[in-house]
Amino acid sequence: MNWNPIVIVICILLAVFAVWKEVVRLNKSRLLPRIVASIIAVAALACIVIPLSYQIDVNKQDKNEALLLTDGFSKDSLIQYKTEKLFTLDGKIKKDIPKAIQIFDLGDLRSDSTITQVRILGNGLNKTELQQFGGLPLAFHPIPVKQGITAISWNKQLKTGEDLNIQGIYQNTLAKKIKLVLNGLSTGLDSTIIEAGKTAPFNLNTVPKNSGRNIYSLLVLAGGDTLEKESIPVQIEHAKPLKVLMLTSSPDFESRFLKNWLSENGYAVVVRSAISKDKFNKEFINIEQFPLDHLSAAVFNKFDVLIGDLSVLKTLNSAEAAALQQDVNQKGLGVIVRADSALKSDYWMQRNFSSDRLAVKDPAPVSLILQGKMALSAKLNAGIVYINNQNNIQSLVSDKQGHILAASTLAGAGKLVFTPLNSTFSWVLGGNKTDYAGLWSLLISKVTRKLPTSENWTVKSAIPTLSNPVELLLESATIPSDIQIEGGTIGPKQNAFIPFEWLVKYWPTSAGWQSVKQANGMLKWFYVYNNADWRSIRALKKQADTKAYVIQHAINSNVTKQIQEKATITVRKIYFYVLLLMACAFLWLEARFR
Amino acid sequence: MANQAGINKISSIRNWYVTYQLLADVLFAAAISLALMALLVYILHISILWILPVFMLSLMAMLFVHKWWKTSELSIANFLNQQYPELEESSALVLKNEAQLNLLETLQLQKVQARLQEVPQWHNSFLKRIKLALALLLFASVLVWLSGRLVSLNVVKAERSLSIEKNVISEKILPQISAVDIVINPPLYTGKPQRNQDRFTLNIEDGATVTWKISTNIPVKKVTLLFNDKENIDLKYINTDKTQWQIARTINKPGFYQVSVDGKLSDLYQLQIVPDQPPVIRIKSPKQYTYIDAGEAQRVNIDAAINDDYGVSDALIFATVAKGSGEAVKFKEYKLDFGASFNSHQPQYNLQKLVSLPALNMEPGDELYFYIQATDTHQQQSRTDVYTVSIQDTAQLLSMDGMLSGVNQKPEFFRSERQIILDTEKLLKDRDSITTAKFNDRSNDLGIDQKLLRLRYGKFLGEESESDINPADVKDDPVGDIKNYGNAAVILDKYTDKHDNAEDAQFFDPELKKQLKATLTEMWKAELQLRLYKPQDALPFEYKALRLLKDLQQKSRMYVAKTSYNPPALKLEKRLSGDLSKINQPVSKSDIKPGTDQYENLKKAIQVLAQLKVTFQITGTDEHVLALANQQLSLKASAQPGVYLSALSAMRRILSKQGDVKLNDISLVEKAIQKTIAPAARTPVATESSADMGLSAEYYKNLNRLNR
Repeated sequence: MNWNPIVIVICILLAVFAVWKEVVRLNKSRLLPRIVASIIAVAALACIVIPLSYQIDVNKQDKNEALLLTDGFSKDSLIQYKTEKLFTLDGKIKKDIPKAIQIFDLGDLRSDSTITQVRILGNGLNKTELQQFGGLPLAFHPIPVKQGITAISWNKQLKTGEDLNIQGIYQNTLAKKIKLVLNGLSTGLDSTIIEAGKTAPFNLNTVPKNSGRNIYSLLVLAGGDTLEKESIPVQIEHAKPLKVLMLTSSPDFESRFLKNWLSENGYAVVVRSAISKDKFNKEFINIEQFPLDHLSAAVFNKFDVLIGDLSVLKTLNSAEAAALQQDVNQKGLGVIVRADSALKSDYWMQRNFSSDRLAVKDPAPVSLILQGKMALSAKLNAGIVYINNQNNIQSLVSDKQGHILAASTLAGAGKLVFTPLNSTFSWVLGGNKTDYAGLWSLLISKVTRKLPTSENWTVKSAIPTLSNPVELLLESATIPSDIQIEGGTIGPKQNAFIPFEWLVKYWPTSAGWQSVKQANGMLKWFYVYNNADWRSIRALKKQADTKAYVIQHAINSNVTKQIQEKATITVRKIYFYVLLLMACAFLWLEARFR
Repeated sequence: MANQAGINKISSIRNWYVTYQLLADVLFAAAISLALMALLVYILHISILWILPVFMLSLMAMLFVHKWWKTSELSIANFLNQQYPELEESSALVLKNEAQLNLLETLQLQKVQARLQEVPQWHNSFLKRIKLALALLLFASVLVWLSGRLVSLNVVKAERSLSIEKNVISEKILPQISAVDIVINPPLYTGKPQRNQDRFTLNIEDGATVTWKISTNIPVKKVTLLFNDKENIDLKYINTDKTQWQIARTINKPGFYQVSVDGKLSDLYQLQIVPDQPPVIRIKSPKQYTYIDAGEAQRVNIDAAINDDYGVSDALIFATVAKGSGEAVKFKEYKLDFGASFNSHQPQYNLQKLVSLPALNMEPGDELYFYIQATDTHQQQSRTDVYTVSIQDTAQLLSMDGMLSGVNQKPEFFRSERQIILDTEKLLKDRDSITTAKFNDRSNDLGIDQKLLRLRYGKFLGEESESDINPADVKDDPVGDIKNYGNAAVILDKYTDKHDNAEDAQFFDPELKKQLKATLTEMWKAELQLRLYKPQDALPFEYKALRLLKDLQQKSRMYVAKTSYNPPALKLEKRLSGDLSKINQPVSKSDIKPGTDQYENLKKAIQVLAQLKVTFQITGTDEHVLALANQQLSLKASAQPGVYLSALSAMRRILSKQGDVKLNDISLVEKAIQKTIAPAARTPVATESSADMGLSAEYYKNLNRLNR
């Protein structure tokens, strides 16, 4: 028999009576609280008699589901799942939760026919581990990463003098500021602040002073505490001198200073400047002398870069011009064209670069923005000609107004750089070698002929760590033989579609720099991190991999589908007892204090 | 019964009153003790806990002074009587024994008693003292806060001065050495007395003589000081036990040294030198270029301040007078002293010297160049820039030389200023022979002339004057002519400004205009003085105006010297033939090897140190690399011991291989290396092509074909 309606009716009557009693009381003070208190008291009474309940969604566990605990799971979440099949790969977790069974091969789960689905708690598994499931459906609900570096990138291979650029995103959920410090040689080199409760990108910069293999470190500081210390391995190589040919229409300061600067650094420079009709002043620095009156394919082939005045290049005779074009298009010679007064022409080197003049006759010196550099350069009289922005060109140097002052374009296998700048030597005169070196390094590096290589090593694993397989990619034109990593020989696997790609898988046994070398190749190095390094990034990577696997192997059979069910949960009566007591206490006390 | 209610009422009011007054006392006591404590803590630095007894004490004092508990109900009744007129001065009746009341009083009591019940329990005036006490408390709190800030500042200061003490590097002394006494004799120039110290770390003046007295606890064979890893100096024993050793030495170079007892080397000790700075001279007046106009006093007041770190021994003015011009210029040099005594060798002198130019035989047109040279006690000299004082040459100004050649057309008003000057001078000369009235008249006339001149120049600047030059004199005013009656053009012509007239248009640049304006200002001033009958005072302004006008004149001139050049005779048969066959082409060949990296050893050491951080073991080759780096660091340390010595000792500790290498030592050395090596310069580099069997090259070639 359902008492509920009766109880409700009685209670309503009781409530009406109580309210009426309060209203008619002589002392009218605190009428509203009294009425509310009496209603609450009656309602609480009603709730004690009638059991109050609500419904929630709960996962009804599939009996055939196994739980796999991975790094980063929360113990409390275990309560939700009442399965007997608890597994883990981690010895530490086994220690924490003795109920869990430690397995060493995920294949065991697959081979157990009673398990139709595996639920993964924690940050998930990496790709290699996921492969062992062999298509077994997974359920995965990761806990999002709250605090830490969530993205990071830096240039791992540098040449001397180049910037080390570290960029990333830091997620700060703490209530205090986070300071990121780039440390090298025990010295703080750059730092930035992440405000409390912000997720912000950061950018740290330095020009390494030393060379070779170096480990910088990224410190995450909160007040006086070091939250994280991550290694940033960087390899810095010496730049190999190039061979530069300069053709100028007359001996001028620009080419003279450029020649001096390049030759000081050990670069081979040949300058041919016209001094009269068919008469040239020829200089050979750091290179053997050879006849240079007539330019030919053989001459061009000797050099990596050609720096020429546009007027000289335009007036080459047909044989020379053809040889030049051939060398640029087929062999990849780079050309830096120093523009003359002609704004446009159909000459093949100028076709992509149409220029314009500034409206002012005598523009003030401007600071230049170099590609890949954060800081502005010192001021320079850049002249009145600038290059129009158009398709097929890439701006290398520009001023603050966006006038392009040097740009590059592709020309077959080679590249062209076009620039109207012709007084950069004033920087050297002013003692500013840094900007001068920065500008010309950028221009020359951009166009120079690529060095032929026979092998190319890349580390495919994002963050290689101890006891996890590291994938190395070898690009080699020939079949590699005898690949040695830290003294052990390893066999490569050829890519089925791209014949020059070879995959090498290696399980590192120690952290730090590891050498790799193939039979007649160069010794190369890669870095293996400790298991404690880059925790947050690796957790994110694992989550992403596991999620990808889950999507790829979506559950399609009904049997294994999770059953969502409504569960009725009764509210505990103690709450109403307390409520009733409080309301009555108020009414009683109120009567005392008038 | 009713009486009892009245008594209750009054006693409850009394209770309220007493409570409020007690509360006020507590607040007062708190305020007083707070303020007192702030003062005491600031001055005597006593503990803050003293506040409790002080508070208790002041509270007691307050209570016993006021004795609120003795407040009688009668006084409350009186208070009520004052405050509430409806009580009709009768509230005290309530307190009286009912039996003692007469009839009238009983009646009155009955009347008042009801009213008494309506009187509120407390009164605003009870709060008065509490409000005052609160204000005082607030003031005291502010005082405490302020003194707290002062104290904290003091604490910070004290900590800072302490931390300097703490910064002194603790020295490790060889076990054989029982005591050390180092006597430092600062050089004479410092004027400092001899001092002793018992630490090896030296911070001494340049050229100081240092005497080391080292006592050993056992007889030793030999005690040596090793300076900068190079120089060995043996100490001499002064007692037969060979336990007392001594040596003296004059130190001129910074660096570091070690003590060696029987071949055992000690730690590195810092040897820092405080060099003597040359004196610093600052000339406050005159300015670098001073121009004395005619009429101004021909004297210069040289005001200079000289500072030195130890003492100034001498300061002189070196003056050169240049007379004449062009090739006839003659120089004469003078040495002037400041007239101050430098015997006391003070570190700071403020010196003045009034130089009378005529005393140096200077005449108008001459120039005086001078500089100040100071010598300090260490015989270091420093001198200032050369300062120039020139006297205006009025003869030159008045000469017509510049104007005779060159531009012939001279507008007449360019001569007038000169004329005014001549007239002024003539007037001054005549002053004694003419009457005052005449003198004043002529002065006023000159003033009028000056005004006319100014107005003329004003026209150049587009100035307009209300009074025309001489409107009264205009006889044939076209407007006044009857024939022009009704002719609007004539009237317009007279009374309008013709700004757009090409003839009147001014082509002066702003610089020229500025100078013209300055000229006008000078004329204004001259005119003022003339009108005040002070031609003497007007002269300087007139001269100045003339000088500015002359400058204006010269501005438009330029001088090009005549040159002579005899070209060689032309070979006509070769001319314009275009034959270059016999001209050689210059070819040069050179090899420039880039300089070796002077920091190569340090850079290699970085790699070794990085390895050490992991292994903590030094191999043979590593040791060699570190030893080379050690040499370079030691060179650095001998130049800047303060900066590099700690790194050098850390490096030595690493190299000594006593126990494991400490991370702290490695980071010290790394820091020093990072500080030492120069940043790498950027150079162009080639990228490597990918080893892709020509795939990408093919791609680019085809891309080029498609683009065409």
